[in-house]
Amino acid sequence: MHRRIHNMSDMAISSARAHVKHIHVERISKLILVSACVLIFVSGCNSPVAPGSANKEIPRLANGKPDLSGIWEATSAADYDLEPHSNRRDAPPGAGVIDGKIIPYLPAALEQKNKNFANRLTDDPALKGYTLGVPRGIYYPEPFQIFQRENDIFLVHQFGHSVRTIYTNNTDHPKDPYDWWLGDSRAKWEGDTLVVDVKHFNDKTWLDRAGNYHSDALHVIERWTYIDINTVEYQATVEDEKVFSRPWTLSVHLHRHREKDFQLIEDYRFTKDYEEFYPPKASEKP
Amino acid sequence: MCYKIVRRIILGIFLFSSWVDINAQEQVVPAAANSSAANPPAEGGGIAIEKVVLPIASSDWKGPRLADGQPNISGHWSNTIANHNNITDPQGGIPNDPNPRRSESGPRENRAPSRVTDPIDGKLPLLPWAQAKVLEFQKGFHNPTKPEYIEPLARCAPAGIPKSLYWHGYEISQYPGYVLFQFNSGTRIIHLDNKPHLHASIKLWNGDSRGHWEGNTLIVDVSNQNGKALLGRSGEFISENAQIEERYVFNEDGSRYNYVVKINDPEVYSRPFTMTIPAKRYTEKSQPNGWHFEVEPATHADADIRLDHYERICAENNGAFGITAAKK
Repeated sequence: MHRRIHNMSDMAISSARAHVKHIHVERISKLILVSACVLIFVSGCNSPVAPGSANKEIPRLANGKPDLSGIWEATSAADYDLEPHSNRRDAPPGAGVIDGKIIPYLPAALEQKNKNFANRLTDDPALKGYTLGVPRGIYYPEPFQIFQRENDIFLVHQFGHSVRTIYTNNTDHPKDPYDWWLGDSRAKWEGDTLVVDVKHFNDKTWLDRAGNYHSDALHVIERWTYIDINTVEYQATVEDEKVFSRPWTLSVHLHRHREKDFQLIEDYRFTKDYEEFYPPKASEKP
Repeated sequence: MCYKIVRRIILGIFLFSSWVDINAQEQVVPAAANSSAANPPAEGGGIAIEKVVLPIASSDWKGPRLADGQPNISGHWSNTIANHNNITDPQGGIPNDPNPRRSESGPRENRAPSRVTDPIDGKLPLLPWAQAKVLEFQKGFHNPTKPEYIEPLARCAPAGIPKSLYWHGYEISQYPGYVLFQFNSGTRIIHLDNKPHLHASIKLWNGDSRGHWEGNTLIVDVSNQNGKALLGRSGEFISENAQIEERYVFNEDGSRYNYVVKINDPEVYSRPFTMTIPAKRYTEKSQPNGWHFEVEPATHADADIRLDHYERICAENNGAFGITAAKK
């Protein structure tokens, strides 16, 4: 008990960060912000409308922004391998989802990737039920549900039931960030496209089950755009100067689940190792 | 970077049992039965903030509504009395603790009442075999020689129903057809569209929830729960066949609600019982709090207060304290 009490002071220190109040704003930074808003507004007006888009018919929030609410899932083989690949015992074939087809690894990083690939049936973090990270959670073959309000968007992933928050309240990345499994997501609307800047990741997630990976320098820029009312084009530009020689972009389509009574079913599979021990059974004597 | 959050989470897991003791000098709130007095000046740190459960009657909702007609109760919430250490004497310390608190806790009436509000004696009507299992867990918890003596929450399993409502603070958000609960350990989606429950063969830590609003009350029918999340670290439990009905009764100004959960589980209990958990709302004006209101000020250029809530991750950061403890 005494030991626990001593540790409480550590707890108090770590939570003390939360008491920092907001920052005094100088006039000049306000000017910059206003200018940036004007630029975004103008560029939004000039955004080209994707061919075949039905922009007037897509669902919208009360503020006019596209409403991405719904249960979505990619049907591509992206999670098996982002790059083009023939069929494998553990994967269907796939044409690849990357511009330029091949991920531009730095030489040392490519060696690591090849090791990951060789050990993929044991080393893939997803096998432990861990949060998939960004962008992998989006094209992993399980549904996720978007809950959207004007100022925030929650993505509830069936896998692990992990929740990612995308802030759309005109806030920036934290000044004293942690390294997060899902990074820190701040978004703006460019016309009808949601553009999300995601950074401050840890290095513990993979990009697919073929061992494609990243470091804690990962920076992802996502673009979410309705193609029609039941289809969203998802693009992610991936930067990581420790692992890749240049940024590259992947693209998948997300399809809205429309089956009758479809719903997410929680998938906390990391509890599988021990859940048999609960609850107590009347047949087992103390 | 990573170290900070790992340390924080490990501390969170292992220290939760001491919070009630640490914060034993909580504010004393006069025992007022009048619900209009439901705004005691309870801010500040710690878990054991209040000692009373103020009644809130089911009635009409006169407060703000969302566009889809739901009473607008979206926001950050947390229970006001202790945590999951002790169901029947929430501020009374840990049952069968081999290292009990050194200070006297005083007469029973000086502490918050039992979480159990029916039966009125405040006791859980456990069947004898189940009572024996609870006692075995309470003793085994402090020297876990069997895997079942480890509280699943310490392994980052979802806190389940009803314990999620008296664990850390949580966020409720509302959407057409849904109420979303983001707990510190686990997430619940309440469906308001009356779709049929999942097939009984599917068992879930947080069950399958169907809700509807009646005036100021959200009524939720829970099925498909797996019975694996304990009611408390004191070992009380329900079976996977328990029937659960929850009533979230909100007060007039939306600053408080009482969570009233009725559980019927003839496999484990001799009769249905009801627990009542009081909760209060935390807003932008509230002080962040490392237990009830775990938010951070957001970075932005305007004068208003906006809040970040960092990702709720547990198993991944729990290392040897969680997953590997169960490896065979």
